[in-house]
Amino acid sequence: MKLQYAFLLIAIVVIGAFLSGCTQQQASTASGQALKIGVVASMTGPSSTTGKDVWQSAELAADEINAKGGVYVKELGKSVPIVLVQGDDESTREGGQKAVSRMLTQDNVDMLVGGFSSAVVSAHQSMVAEHNVPYIITGASTPVITRRTDVNTSFMFHHAPTTDDSGSQTTLFIDEGIRPAINEKFGYSADRPLRLAVLYQDSPYGKGHLEAVKNTISNSSLNIKVVAEESFKMGESDFRTALTSIKSADPDVVYVAAFLNEQIPIETQAMRDVDLKKIFIAIEPNDDPDFYKGVGKYGEYSIIQSRFSPYTVPKGPTEAATKKFVTDFDKKYGGFPGMMGVATYEGVYIGAKAVENAGTLNKLAVRNAIADLQMPQMVEAMKGQTINFSRDFRESKFDLTMEQLIWDPAVNETRPKIVSPQNLKETGFVLPDWFVPAKA
Amino acid sequence: MEIGLDIFLQVVVWGLYAGCIYILLATGLNLIFGVMKVVNFAHGQLLMIGAYVTFSFFVLTGFNPYVLLAASVPILIILGVSIERLCFRPIMGTGKLNEIFISIGLIYILENVAAMIWTDEWKVIKSPFEAITVTVGSMKIPVDYIIIIITTAVTLVALYLFLKKSRLGLAVRATSQNRKAAMLVGINVERMDMLSFGIGAGLAGAAGTLWVVSGQVFNPYMGSVPAVKAFAIVIIGGLGSIPGAIIGGLLLGIAENFTVFTIGGAWKDAIAFLILIIVLVLKPTGLFGEKAE
Repeated sequence: MKLQYAFLLIAIVVIGAFLSGCTQQQASTASGQALKIGVVASMTGPSSTTGKDVWQSAELAADEINAKGGVYVKELGKSVPIVLVQGDDESTREGGQKAVSRMLTQDNVDMLVGGFSSAVVSAHQSMVAEHNVPYIITGASTPVITRRTDVNTSFMFHHAPTTDDSGSQTTLFIDEGIRPAINEKFGYSADRPLRLAVLYQDSPYGKGHLEAVKNTISNSSLNIKVVAEESFKMGESDFRTALTSIKSADPDVVYVAAFLNEQIPIETQAMRDVDLKKIFIAIEPNDDPDFYKGVGKYGEYSIIQSRFSPYTVPKGPTEAATKKFVTDFDKKYGGFPGMMGVATYEGVYIGAKAVENAGTLNKLAVRNAIADLQMPQMVEAMKGQTINFSRDFRESKFDLTMEQLIWDPAVNETRPKIVSPQNLKETGFVLPDWFVPAKA
Repeated sequence: MEIGLDIFLQVVVWGLYAGCIYILLATGLNLIFGVMKVVNFAHGQLLMIGAYVTFSFFVLTGFNPYVLLAASVPILIILGVSIERLCFRPIMGTGKLNEIFISIGLIYILENVAAMIWTDEWKVIKSPFEAITVTVGSMKIPVDYIIIIITTAVTLVALYLFLKKSRLGLAVRATSQNRKAAMLVGINVERMDMLSFGIGAGLAGAAGTLWVVSGQVFNPYMGSVPAVKAFAIVIIGGLGSIPGAIIGGLLLGIAENFTVFTIGGAWKDAIAFLILIIVLVLKPTGLFGEKAE
């Protein structure tokens, strides 16, 4: 009997350890003075692949800054190192609340960076607001994050394209790039409306894209008709019926607002099971080596809206920095850092620069320094080649690209080619031979 | 919404496919509950392990993934027997709370062990038959789904024959119906526990293989959603009833897919519980359940 109770006790301890949502801290400095940055990352749970990218990218940035002597704080008359504190949100709202609460109240971080998933970030924003700690959000994409009025978001800064930004640019590309190509190939009149289906995750991220698509069509008076709106729960893996429903609506293009684990089965099931021979659009979180590997041939000729790709680097001022970052990350951790990784890498630099500009670790002063920041773009191409935050909703603005996936027999996978914008494009958009336009 | 016959049948096929995975999972769960009266919350994680076993053998050997049922099912049977022997048997009869904690603990342990062995990145493999379709009327059905439906049917027939026609099956049923009486007539009920847990885990392993073959992505955390559905099916069909698990699985698979088609994907999970509530209100023991002891 004693053995049984001992076993039960061990089991409870093990479960407790898994559930505890511990924070991990880098080694503190001997003097105790440091810029403590809490990194909100999904280290466990379904989003842990992205979470590890986020944490490792933050670590790379901190190591680079520390190797150069740290962050100069005028008030202290010296440079202090960056110490990162890891807050594992466990890919859940509750996990995020636990981790952020601990970083704010026990670790006493000077600022926060990271925050994957709009739903997870929304759940812990009120805690951040209560403690008035600057938060550079580098993952969540809903614009609501810094626009909501029920929580004081004045200490929160959004360094990731919002669903409005990416939805709008993608819809404009559909109108300017895909619609004319269909009309030309099939001899349709130029005023034929393009039939668009939207398959979106039932979350702030997915709904944000749906709204952005509709608003762009309406505000820019685009000749696009939304013929189907199908939603699915986050983490869904069976899309056959939703795709059958979309097929019955007869679209030309299917706009998908999904994560990588959803996008792969969506495109696979559409082509393989439902025989939906349409142009598929994927959104930036999917521009990842795992997507190319997972979707295989079924992804050929589909479009990805991107800002940081594993397989193509836009020519221009950020080209060298992008290559360096990717190489450094690969050398240190192996693999590709991912889009949220790069934004977090920049987020740590933004935080460090703001502290330098403020000359103090005082949170209000640092918050104001972030708001006034004018920093040259780093790895990702920014509007005006500068990282700064809008006065109204504290959002930075990115230059986004549209890529088309072309089969590369040498690697037996597709590879992206930039087809938009005009100044960055590597090739023109291609309408595949198997494409079947809408009959209506 | 206007539904053509071909679209209607297509949705039925997707419902049958989903139902097959649910049935395998729920039947195993029910078998375990029927014999041991234990609710194994970690049953979805056994499906996940089955998926990874199939994946690993596929990568190592390049064998047809359907053939790998011959690997995933026995490995999961051994795993199931080990779990029963090491985790559940020592606490049998010590209270339901202990059983619940053990199975919840197993969820985290199995997920973390899987993440440690296979990493937590999403995996996917391709069926060798993925390009083959069968034309039925105006519908093109990928042959994989037909194989999955047939494989499930054959597995259930084999289980039925085992339970109804073999002496061992008779002993399992006797233990399920009256544990004390089974002991009195000389049946080794602890052996029946081990056997039923093994078979239940083996069925979850088969579900994992079929999940992988159909091109679904998977990672160590994918087991919870199918497990929740399997629990709903078990309650809809009646605790301990295998015919109930089969009918419940088919009902849920088809209902979910028609819900997605008509109302939208956001309601897919809700329909399982709507059916569950309706069934429980009309028949509190489930469709095929007997009166509680």
